[in-house]
Amino acid sequence: MTDTVTVCDLDGLPPGSRRVIEAFGGQIVVFNVAGRLYAVDAVCPHAGGPLSHGRITGARLADTPFEHRWDLEDRILVCPWHGWEFDLETGSTLFDPGVGVAKYEVAVVDGTVLVNG
Amino acid sequence: MRSVIDCDVHQNLNSLRELVPYLDPAFREYLERGGYTGFQLPNYPWVHPSGFTMGDAVPSDGGVPGSHYPTLREQLLDGWNVEFAILTGEDILNVSCMPHPQLAAALASAYNRWLVDTWLPRDDRLRGSLVIATQDAAAATAEIAHYADHPGIVQVIVSDGARAGYGNPHYLPIWRAAAEFGLPVAVHAGAGGLGVNPPPTPNGYPDYYFEYHSLAPTSAMRHLVSFISHGVFETLRDLRVVLVELGVAWLPSLLWRLDANWKALRSEVPWVKRSPSEQVCEHVKFTTQPLEQPRQPSDLHAILDMVPGSETMLLFATDYPHWDVDQPRLIERRLPVHFRDRVMSENARELYRLPSPVLAAP
Repeated sequence: MTDTVTVCDLDGLPPGSRRVIEAFGGQIVVFNVAGRLYAVDAVCPHAGGPLSHGRITGARLADTPFEHRWDLEDRILVCPWHGWEFDLETGSTLFDPGVGVAKYEVAVVDGTVLVNG
Repeated sequence: MRSVIDCDVHQNLNSLRELVPYLDPAFREYLERGGYTGFQLPNYPWVHPSGFTMGDAVPSDGGVPGSHYPTLREQLLDGWNVEFAILTGEDILNVSCMPHPQLAAALASAYNRWLVDTWLPRDDRLRGSLVIATQDAAAATAEIAHYADHPGIVQVIVSDGARAGYGNPHYLPIWRAAAEFGLPVAVHAGAGGLGVNPPPTPNGYPDYYFEYHSLAPTSAMRHLVSFISHGVFETLRDLRVVLVELGVAWLPSLLWRLDANWKALRSEVPWVKRSPSEQVCEHVKFTTQPLEQPRQPSDLHAILDMVPGSETMLLFATDYPHWDVDQPRLIERRLPVHFRDRVMSENARELYRLPSPVLAAP
């Protein structure tokens, strides 16, 4: 059974903004990234850093040594403490798909932003 | 008494002049006339006060320890029941810290010819390490290709003292050639701070040999980090590196630090896909001598347990005939029981593709 928590009106979460809510026994940060909504645990699974303060950016990727290819723009959340990079589409870190932050489904119903836990 | 495969045996020349017949004629003059008191390779400013070699390894002919095959056979091959000995040369490894790239390459070639012509035919138990001069990557690559099919040559060898970390792209063609021909690359302790190499520590030159010798692992750490950060093991999936005489027990802390930094700094080196510890386990071997000596032998076991796969990563070595030689029976007893077969012989047999003992018919 899933619980649903109300975050705010969509007007209260315009593109480029974020909100931290108390839900499911912890803190969750909800991002509006250019109209796409993401919700993840606000505490980094590595060392407890505040993901609520993380930058949202892209990432350098490479297929061969010394390549620096900028990709995944607006998909990567970087922990402000140790720099772990999380893909907001999956919650996974870029170094290991098996390691990541808990990610929650976000929905907008009648102009209200909801998070399903 | 168990037979062992010894992965660090220093056979030697009595004099560099023995290489003259093997040397490109264009460079013979250097050996015959060079230097104020004879030609010398760059040598150590640090001196072991009682000599770098075992006091009892001086051959009956009065020559240099390691130069006399009958003595080496009696003391090492027969005396310690060595099934195979991987010959690693001596200060010929210092060619890579010379300022003259072509002379360095010529000396390495002459040494390799001497090794193949004189030492390897003496005994079925001997295998050779191909010395290359790293200044000229193309020449080094050609040298590797020339000897790649020689059955007695089982690896390429360089010193750990170097002008740059071994991940530097300058070295990549050399490692690629070794990997393509299935030859591991041995990085042997030595030549740090010699010739035109930079100081062997980040804080300059040690004053004493005691310092220099104690700090040898720091150079191994530098090369490991360099190999990984430059993606050498990602590019050359077949490359195997053997760190010779550079210690073992320091490895867990470096791997913890590397793995943590990789997770945090991945974006700087995005081509590093596998965790550093995974790469080291797959690509790197460590010879045992001088095996660290904790007060409690079980402490060494605990450290080995901290590195997944460590039982596959260690290769036994004596370092004969050097002053800090490790005797096989002593080392075997200090290893965990389930490490012994692998470390004393089987890891090396697999790495160097050495034949298994022929069992007598029942």
